[in-house]
Amino acid sequence: MAKILIVDDAEFLRVRISKMLGGGNEIIEADNGARAVERYKDAHPDLVLMDITMPEMDGLTALKEIRAFDPKARVIMLTALGQESVVLEAVKSGARDFIVKPFERERVLNAINKILG
Amino acid sequence: MDVNFMNPFVDSAAEVLKAEAGLSVTRGAITMHKSALTTNDITVLLSMIGQVQGVVLYEMPFATALALVSRVMGQEFAVFDNLAQSGMAELGNVITGRATVRLSQAGYQATISPPTLIQGRGVTISTLDFSRLVVPLVTEHGELVVHLALRQSASDKQNVGLIPLVVESQKAIG
Repeated sequence: MAKILIVDDAEFLRVRISKMLGGGNEIIEADNGARAVERYKDAHPDLVLMDITMPEMDGLTALKEIRAFDPKARVIMLTALGQESVVLEAVKSGARDFIVKPFERERVLNAINKILG
Repeated sequence: MDVNFMNPFVDSAAEVLKAEAGLSVTRGAITMHKSALTTNDITVLLSMIGQVQGVVLYEMPFATALALVSRVMGQEFAVFDNLAQSGMAELGNVITGRATVRLSQAGYQATISPPTLIQGRGVTISTLDFSRLVVPLVTEHGELVVHLALRQSASDKQNVGLIPLVVESQKAIG
């Protein structure tokens, strides 16, 4: 069982991804980047699925803070912003994968399985 | 309003509604409006900044919004509760995000704000003297109407001269 942190300001998306991942994982949630950093430090999840456009702190800033705290943090960006410059910044900042919404269930599950082994 | 900015939004909306809700859309008659928008039941509003800046709105009746979020989530929504509101806002976010990818491929870099959802008919939203391009997208569950009030800005003045937005009054009737 993996501990997965889902970070998105949209409750709808957090619920949808939780359902998609099924009951075999421990799911924790955060609704902005600042809370994601707090939750990461408290809970030490195995994997983070994180949006980019969020109030208070965006996902790219949160990614950098999480990776500064834990250089081995495994973070997948899951966002509507798929411009090349955004993808490059995410990868440069340590994101392990980058999934553009709308996403297919299999794409998300394959990315998670690949990273968690 | 530069009409060249329309296709990225229309194409993205069609693509996202197909992928997320399994819906085909057809485009209705395109019109240009100078007068203020008076909202339908649900309106999702996002701002864009960058080389394309302005406001994008998606409006629809309750029945259409409920049908859309039900299809995306794969469960029936009978009331437009917090989760359904979140779903509708997210749909606007994904369509607009996808459109910014298309705009970036055409050479225009822009980013978007988190969405705002306005619930209730009769709210007057004005972009003042800036005209709106209005594009109805017809689905089997009713119309989702896209309003675009966008303009190109010089790359060295990316956030100057943002389109002003005024929400004048609210006469929500449900």
